[in-house]
Amino acid sequence: MSTARQYELMYIVSPEATEQELADLHGQVESIVGRFEGKIDKSEAWGKRRLAYPIKRHREGHYVLEFLTGPGEMVKELDRRLKVIDQVIRHLVVRVDEDVRVADRRRAEREAWAAKRREARGLPPESPDAFRDTEHENHNADDVEGE
Amino acid sequence: MSEERGRSRSRGKDDRQQGQRRTFFRRRRVCKFCVEKIDYISYRDMKLLAPFIPERGKIQPRRISGVCASHQRKLQLAIKRARQMALIPYVTE
Repeated sequence: MSTARQYELMYIVSPEATEQELADLHGQVESIVGRFEGKIDKSEAWGKRRLAYPIKRHREGHYVLEFLTGPGEMVKELDRRLKVIDQVIRHLVVRVDEDVRVADRRRAEREAWAAKRREARGLPPESPDAFRDTEHENHNADDVEGE
Repeated sequence: MSEERGRSRSRGKDDRQQGQRRTFFRRRRVCKFCVEKIDYISYRDMKLLAPFIPERGKIQPRRISGVCASHQRKLQLAIKRARQMALIPYVTE
């Protein structure tokens, strides 16, 4: 069995789509996800939003965001299917687990480091917020000012 | 002309330097993401991305925004994804 990963799927549906059609699309996504034994962790409908630039002559669209867990094949299939559906004017799948893991590790490292620093300085376990002033030398400033 | 401007500018700088040498005014070269301890930049977070997208819609260079290299890379990716999803424009005329 392939490993499950976390993804974020966002798609934009044409503004003419009705509630029913949106629900149908969600159902389609759900069935694909189900077929690959993945699951939808969360689903968010952003509603109708103005697009930053026109896509296929549309100026706005329904944004839908789904948080998925499942194998890579699932994404491949989702991608293929969403491309075919005309109502979906744009979609994007982003893998997030890796980045979230890195972010968590960073945070843990930072906290451990901060705790160690506090201990080394003999401070109580409170956030010291010691921000070092990393001002550069003045001759560097000339270059920046002159552009 | 340009010489004149250059001189007046440098004079103004000297004045400021005289007053407070340490707090000589320059753009604060601190990475916003490092300060606020943001490790993951999501393309969906428009509030976070907005300050790095000037009117023209271009990605603000690091030398201006002061973002550190690793965060700039993440920011860049987030902005590009946001553009794909029409959350922010590619170009603004």
